[in-house]
Amino acid sequence: MSQSDAFQKPSFLFRPGEWALVLAIAIAIALTGLVDTNHSYWFQPLASLRDIARNTALLGIFALGATVVIIAGGIDLSAGSMIALSGTICATTMLALAPAQMMGFRPVGLVAVAAGCAASLLVGFLVGTLHTWLITAVRLPPFIATLATLVGLRSFARALCESSTAALTPTKSALINVSDPVFKAIRDNVWIPVAVFGILAIVTWLLLTRTVLGRHIHALGGNEQAARLAGIRTDNVKWFAYCFGAMTAALAGLFYVANESVAAPVNQGRGHELNAIAAAVVGGCSLAGGVGTVPGTVLGTIFLRVVIDAVSKIIKTGADVYEGLIVGVVVVIAVTLAQVGQLAKGGRRLLPGALGLCAIPTLSLLAGAVAAMTTGGRTGIATGLVAAALLALLRLWESRRTA
Amino acid sequence: MRESADRSAATAQAVVMRGITKRFPGVVALEDVGLEVCRGELHAICGENGAGKSTLMKILSGVYPPDEGGLEIGGQPVIFAGTKDAEQAGIAIIHQELALVEDLSVAANVFLGREKRTPLGLLDDRAMHNECRRLLAILECHVAPGTRTGSLRVGDQQLVEIAKALSLEASIVVMDEPTSALTESESARLERTIARLLANGTTILYISHKMDEVFRLADRITVLRDGRHVCTVDRAATNPRQITGWMVGREIADHAFAVGRARGPRVLEVRDLTLPWPNHPRGYRLSQVSLDLHAGEILGMAGLMGAGRTELLEAIFGAEEPIWTGAIRLDGQPVRFRHPREACAAGIAMVTEDRKRLGLFPDLDVAGNVSLCSLQESLRGGLLSRRAEEELVATPIRDTGVKTPGVHASIMGLSGGNQQKCIIGRWLLTKPRVLLLDDPTRGIDVGAKAELYALIDRLCRNGLAVILTSSELPELLTLADRIIVLAEGRLTAEFSRAEATEEKIMQAATGG
Repeated sequence: MSQSDAFQKPSFLFRPGEWALVLAIAIAIALTGLVDTNHSYWFQPLASLRDIARNTALLGIFALGATVVIIAGGIDLSAGSMIALSGTICATTMLALAPAQMMGFRPVGLVAVAAGCAASLLVGFLVGTLHTWLITAVRLPPFIATLATLVGLRSFARALCESSTAALTPTKSALINVSDPVFKAIRDNVWIPVAVFGILAIVTWLLLTRTVLGRHIHALGGNEQAARLAGIRTDNVKWFAYCFGAMTAALAGLFYVANESVAAPVNQGRGHELNAIAAAVVGGCSLAGGVGTVPGTVLGTIFLRVVIDAVSKIIKTGADVYEGLIVGVVVVIAVTLAQVGQLAKGGRRLLPGALGLCAIPTLSLLAGAVAAMTTGGRTGIATGLVAAALLALLRLWESRRTA
Repeated sequence: MRESADRSAATAQAVVMRGITKRFPGVVALEDVGLEVCRGELHAICGENGAGKSTLMKILSGVYPPDEGGLEIGGQPVIFAGTKDAEQAGIAIIHQELALVEDLSVAANVFLGREKRTPLGLLDDRAMHNECRRLLAILECHVAPGTRTGSLRVGDQQLVEIAKALSLEASIVVMDEPTSALTESESARLERTIARLLANGTTILYISHKMDEVFRLADRITVLRDGRHVCTVDRAATNPRQITGWMVGREIADHAFAVGRARGPRVLEVRDLTLPWPNHPRGYRLSQVSLDLHAGEILGMAGLMGAGRTELLEAIFGAEEPIWTGAIRLDGQPVRFRHPREACAAGIAMVTEDRKRLGLFPDLDVAGNVSLCSLQESLRGGLLSRRAEEELVATPIRDTGVKTPGVHASIMGLSGGNQQKCIIGRWLLTKPRVLLLDDPTRGIDVGAKAELYALIDRLCRNGLAVILTSSELPELLTLADRIIVLAEGRLTAEFSRAEATEEKIMQAATGG
């Protein structure tokens, strides 16, 4: 009954789990402000904010796409490759329209820029269509279909980059420099991607909560068979979802090109699809489909970027080295904490039996190794030992409780 | 284990449960329930859905521990920490929702978790297959032990579960609504198996909704209501009406619904519908089926599982690719729907057979489940309006009599009967003229069934044309104006309400 009572009232602004994320973001920021020896959050608040905002906006744009696909009961693993392809398409189009200006690092003209961006978004639509065709007509599982494009599109983007540079410029190259003032303006003004992210988030939120299509997306993800039998054209809804996913990645790809002043199909956006999925999952999306919100994903994205930023501030090494590790840990902790109520009530154990025994040294080694790499050998050993002791205590407490 | 069985042979009670209380968050599932089951009897447990039958059996088989109360097996107090302990004590349970691994073979399922091994420690498939074959032969189940379990019919899957119970040499077998998905012939086979188990001295606890079955099989009957024990009686000392009365807390009056319904013009016409079945020896799912349906009429459709009832409704509704030949005419116009959307637009609605799998959206609330097919009507300025949606669903929720704590309550928190009313309400919002109901009362308790009958009758009196299928013949005899019978994809008989009897329908459904 308590569960159904929760459905009675629309909750204020965020759902309970999302308020927890707001709190977690606040704590992460406060901790970083305190622990960071340079105190950059105090002394350069604007620079810090700008940094986090840019990264959040870039990730958030295609995390919204991932959210729609996941709520519709699918998965899109190809976002990172789509980013690379989008950048390459845009740069190649501009190169074809204005080769001399591109090579001379001169303005290529608004028409060429617009054509490049339009071409990227169009290719996003085509890739979304390809995904939907593979999934609904060829009947591949979404995981397989988008795994194929994950590896395929990046390779395609590189081939396209090399053959177009070979044809249009004196030398074959795996990257194309983009130095048009429009892109420079976007690079230098962080609020452009933030505004785009904000508008896209509002549009997506309206779409998911206030339109028939959005309701159909939820229904499709919740129960595909029933959705079809209720007269929903499920294939069309999927088509929309995968196109939305691919086109948001294409849009993000344009910002990556602007940010880095180069279209680099080999590395741009590599692995980013998993960050997008992680942001959606931390924000409360269920990979089983049917469940998820835009505010959740936005908060999940902010939380991921804040934590990544916090770690780079605190340990003073490049955030990129530890980014994957942080995302992994955050996803595990966020999803575990979401079940904390169940864990406490249901008598479920985190460290059961022989598996639990082996998990203790595994987790302690991991913690110790990370501490050793970031702060030195001695602290590493100490961290490992403390972790082992804490886990052993948890195990003892759990076996007491169930006995 | 053997030893304890010998020692306890003196006591007459196989199972004693005392003062069992079990709470789940927000609900007391069982309160101070006692149960005594004699050695070698078939003890039926009756009650509406949510009465606590399954919970009580799950406590007996070690799935949950009770919050309060104790359990004695063969006179020995026991505490089960899990299902393994219950198995050790000789208790096997055949769950309502079968717990088989579909991708493993039959033999692998029977011995799952207790695999036989060769001296080298490798799986001894031959020994397992031989033993499995022997057990299945006892159960008259003619499937090879190596068959993939998922490819078996539900009835055979159930026998695989029973074979598992046999291989455990269980002295107490719990069957939770075993016939809910079985055809009549499969049920008869199950009853022979039950008789054989009883003859070998096995004690059986049998949960069922079906009164005829309970009265044919049981020695004693226990009735539960709202998590409490109502009474335990000898079968000979009671009658079905009394039991259903105890189950719902009142006596259910038998209604003759169809009396005085006026039949309107013909709405739907099916002529020589043939639905091919590629790669199957029979070659067709439906062959030369014709029927007429009039406004204000309920056409009952009887048939065993696999007779083609669902396929016929799906062909009319456009649920599958239209590979059929023949003709379907709606108001005299030939139609050939390729997607449910088209059928829906033409005024046909279908309430599907398997509510959970094909009807409900667990992540949408009650309002979302009801409004789904008519969302266009809750748009205000191009966007969905929460208030407009609430207003839209208020009417069908009131008309179908859904009991819900609120329109934004979780649909999964409602009982099966109320969920079904929500789905019917969803389709009523599309203002259909033809309503296809595929076994709408399956898994719904007695009280809610009576309410659904009244609802269907009311809809029909308002001019709706209804096709109703049911796996329970009395239901068709109560509700339908005419009854057609399908057997193996062919239409074998049509009866008016006055002509129809259970015997005649069964004859047409089995032989034709």
